[in-house]
Amino acid sequence: MPLFTKAGSFLRNIFFPNHGEADLNHEVQSHLQLLTDENIRAGMPAKEAHRAACIELGGAEQVKEQVREIQIGNWLRSVLSDFRYGFRQLRKNPGFTAVAVLTLALGIAVNATMFSLVSAFMLRHPPGRDPKRVAVVTSINPGNGFLPEANPVSIPNFLAWREANQVSADIAAADQYRSVHLTPVSQSTAGQPQAIRSAAVSPNYFSVLGVSPEFGRTFNDQEIQPGRDRVVILSHELWERQFASDASLIGRAIRLNRENYTVIGVMPSSFHLTGFTPQLWTPLEVTTQTANARKDRSLLLFARLKPGVTIEQARAEFSALARRAEQDFPEIEKGWGAAVRTFPDFLLYNFGIRNGLAVVMTTVAFVLLIACANVAGLLLARAAGRRKELAIRLALGAGGLRIIRQLLTENLLIAFLGGALGLLLAYWGIAFVRANMNFNEAMSAVPLSLDSNVLLFALAASTLCALLCGLAPALNASRTDVNNNLKEEGRSSSSSHSHSRLRTTMVTCQIALALFLLVGTGLLFRGIFMIEHQNLGFRADHLLTANVVLDAARYKDSIQQSLFVRNLLPQLTQLPGVEAVAATSDLPAAGPGAVTFRIQGQSEVPANQQLTASDNVVSSDFFPTAGIPLLRGRAFTEQDTALTPRVIVVNQEFVNRHFHDQNPLGKQIQLNVSGTASQWSEIVGVVGNVKTYSEGIIDDPQVYEPFLQRPISSFSLMLRTGSEPSALASPLRTAVAQLDAELPLGNVMSMSALIDRQKGGNPFFVRVLASFAFLALILAGIGIYGLIAYSVGQRTHEIAIRMALGAKRPDVLRMILRDGMKMTAIGAAVGLALALPLPKVFDAIFYGLHLREPRLYFLVPVTILIVALLATYIPARRASRVDPMSALHQD
Amino acid sequence: MGSEPTTLLQGTLDLLILKSLVAAEMHGLGISRRIQLITGGTFVVKPGSLFPALHRMEEEGWISSYWGDSENNRRAKFYRLTKPGRKQLEAETKRWGRISLAIAQALQAS
Repeated sequence: MPLFTKAGSFLRNIFFPNHGEADLNHEVQSHLQLLTDENIRAGMPAKEAHRAACIELGGAEQVKEQVREIQIGNWLRSVLSDFRYGFRQLRKNPGFTAVAVLTLALGIAVNATMFSLVSAFMLRHPPGRDPKRVAVVTSINPGNGFLPEANPVSIPNFLAWREANQVSADIAAADQYRSVHLTPVSQSTAGQPQAIRSAAVSPNYFSVLGVSPEFGRTFNDQEIQPGRDRVVILSHELWERQFASDASLIGRAIRLNRENYTVIGVMPSSFHLTGFTPQLWTPLEVTTQTANARKDRSLLLFARLKPGVTIEQARAEFSALARRAEQDFPEIEKGWGAAVRTFPDFLLYNFGIRNGLAVVMTTVAFVLLIACANVAGLLLARAAGRRKELAIRLALGAGGLRIIRQLLTENLLIAFLGGALGLLLAYWGIAFVRANMNFNEAMSAVPLSLDSNVLLFALAASTLCALLCGLAPALNASRTDVNNNLKEEGRSSSSSHSHSRLRTTMVTCQIALALFLLVGTGLLFRGIFMIEHQNLGFRADHLLTANVVLDAARYKDSIQQSLFVRNLLPQLTQLPGVEAVAATSDLPAAGPGAVTFRIQGQSEVPANQQLTASDNVVSSDFFPTAGIPLLRGRAFTEQDTALTPRVIVVNQEFVNRHFHDQNPLGKQIQLNVSGTASQWSEIVGVVGNVKTYSEGIIDDPQVYEPFLQRPISSFSLMLRTGSEPSALASPLRTAVAQLDAELPLGNVMSMSALIDRQKGGNPFFVRVLASFAFLALILAGIGIYGLIAYSVGQRTHEIAIRMALGAKRPDVLRMILRDGMKMTAIGAAVGLALALPLPKVFDAIFYGLHLREPRLYFLVPVTILIVALLATYIPARRASRVDPMSALHQD
Repeated sequence: MGSEPTTLLQGTLDLLILKSLVAAEMHGLGISRRIQLITGGTFVVKPGSLFPALHRMEEEGWISSYWGDSENNRRAKFYRLTKPGRKQLEAETKRWGRISLAIAQALQAS
């Protein structure tokens, strides 16, 4: 019964507040009447009786408010009324509302857009069952280099560790970076053979990860045996693109590497590991137990941990196993350790994007802070204008908390409107980022979208904004002194001290942050510019390139590989428009592999101190084709074959590092190439340096070996052309097809296009960062303008008095400008101090660039000063136009 | 009626209102005067405490209200005890008895 009564009261209070209100009003009035009657009966005169009754009642409105506060549903009702009131306030001030909402929307939009990257990389779970219980085991490269802890593991180590470890019941291995030739089923329709990224996996790979195929089945244990291992599982994407989503494909054969493979399954499109893009999976053969197998590190190990085993225990276990391998095979394993990460951690580490994300998120957080500071400034200015309104509400019985809540509700409204608009902008922002993040396969495969994480983030950011922007003004307002404010009549000669100090601090911080961001972006710009306009050490124009992978099925040994190159190159030279042709293991400035080596006469050194150089295998015409100058000695010729003494060409950096001023020609060095016996080679020539990466600025020592002395199965072709290189793409394909119709050509593109692609996201991300910094500058400008305009408005009275007392217009102008410039100067000084260590930070990113840009430290502050000057000048001029008479008469 | 009236114990006001309504149905001022009378002037309930309490108790279902005429023919809102209200009064009375006994014992002990 009481529950029913309560529910009834609740509904009545929420839905029929007016009925209760009228009743309450009558009751209080009647009470007042009864009190008056009582006083009259006690002998007071009528007027006196009413007054005494009013005093005893203690204020009708306050009593009513107290009753309202205890009523059931009051909380909800008052929140609703706060929102209604807030909406009315915002509608009354469309200019203020628009500026505040738009400012926050911009801040939230850039944050949400960038957070979609965080969400895509860090918050998505890898596919499969309980991925955190899967440990990825990799080797630690003692030679450091790129992602030293993500080195693959050799087959012998895989087999040994699978047997010996106590932490995992089931370990799978995968060679994720293979390539196969796919020949279209019917030659007539789909045309050219294709090189497809593939992975070779142990049969238990899918069951260890806990994923099941969309159709068909995964590998069984028999399918690693020769003869039964010609089976393949396709990715959903490949199945869709290449086989028209044909469900009857299961059980049929497709042609891979010139052999028939039976399709046994198709994986769902959700099976996708960030950073890995295999389109099909074949069984991993683990039988090759040759002497060199230990040097061939190609496997990532996926270990499903036993229940109760922690990742730390797994780490200790595999480190111990790696140490055992080191003891047993010191020659090869010296210094190599084992790294263990959970599956999600590994994917993130392997993508190497954590730092980039941190930089971007910090930047956008600064932008949001600046936006919040702006809105807080606006709110403070408005709060000053609303002091009287708040004082009246306090006088009518509203509690201080209630006032704070009401103001915060208004801020929440602004922030959520901003957040909603921001999400709309972020929707386009994300689409824009997605359209621009296509510089490589792994990147474009990242699933960027406005997902629930981004929504939650935007909601949290909006709420945070509301609190950040609103708390200071709200606290300020609730301290409003009723009497003073009702009396004051706005005659204050300047705004209250604490107000103006808070706002000054905020604007100063904004300027400091904007300057910091601008200097940082400026340095980044400069760095990228220097890289883009550097001399790479070879002529990148008029070069057509293509990748070739000679498959083991047809090109079993080095003799056949040499033969193919020997046959192909002369044919390509015959093509009209081709000036020179070369084959090379790595295209120039494309990040070649590294090789350790010894110089004859030097003593043995530990594994982690071995000398390294970039390793290239090139055909005889490589140097003239690439346009790399020969500095000393000779280049390779057709006569440097497997039958003649081994020769080597090094670059100038190699000579500088290892021979100082000696003559390197005739010296013997020994490259430590995996899979071959070590041999001494004589240095016969020195060539100019080529940048190791086109997107970097490093000159590494480089060694070149002649193709015929060290044939390789995977290489690139380079054609120097007299005209537009892409015009030769189809003659090139035809020429290759004449030699081998089933051999695919990968990445047929001009060298300059390739370099553009290698730069990857750099220019894009710099553009993005630059726009953020620019946004920060604009916002800081608006902040300065708002503050000065507000304080000028507050000081109209004072200015009028000054002018009445004889101050001239220029004096007033100067006074206001001085105030603005003071804030700007302090903010700029703080920002400069923050930005001073930036070049050191960037040294780590642009290794060897030594970005020192003193000009930037002059230009950015000047820009900020100009923006601040403009932002100050407009209100200052208005102030100097004040007509003293009318301003003083105003009140 | 010095400073004491302001410090009413939590729950005491409810008890006093319920108790005063046992005698008759009354309007707000009547309840206030009745409490003053039965407590020998110790407690003076101000409208700012009385009306919120009345509305709360009405929402609890302990009392109900109706509009009627006062002794000198003014429209006034009258309150009367409901059945749950009587039960509540009994419970509160017992509870109060226990509390006052306990407090008295505690004070004698020391």
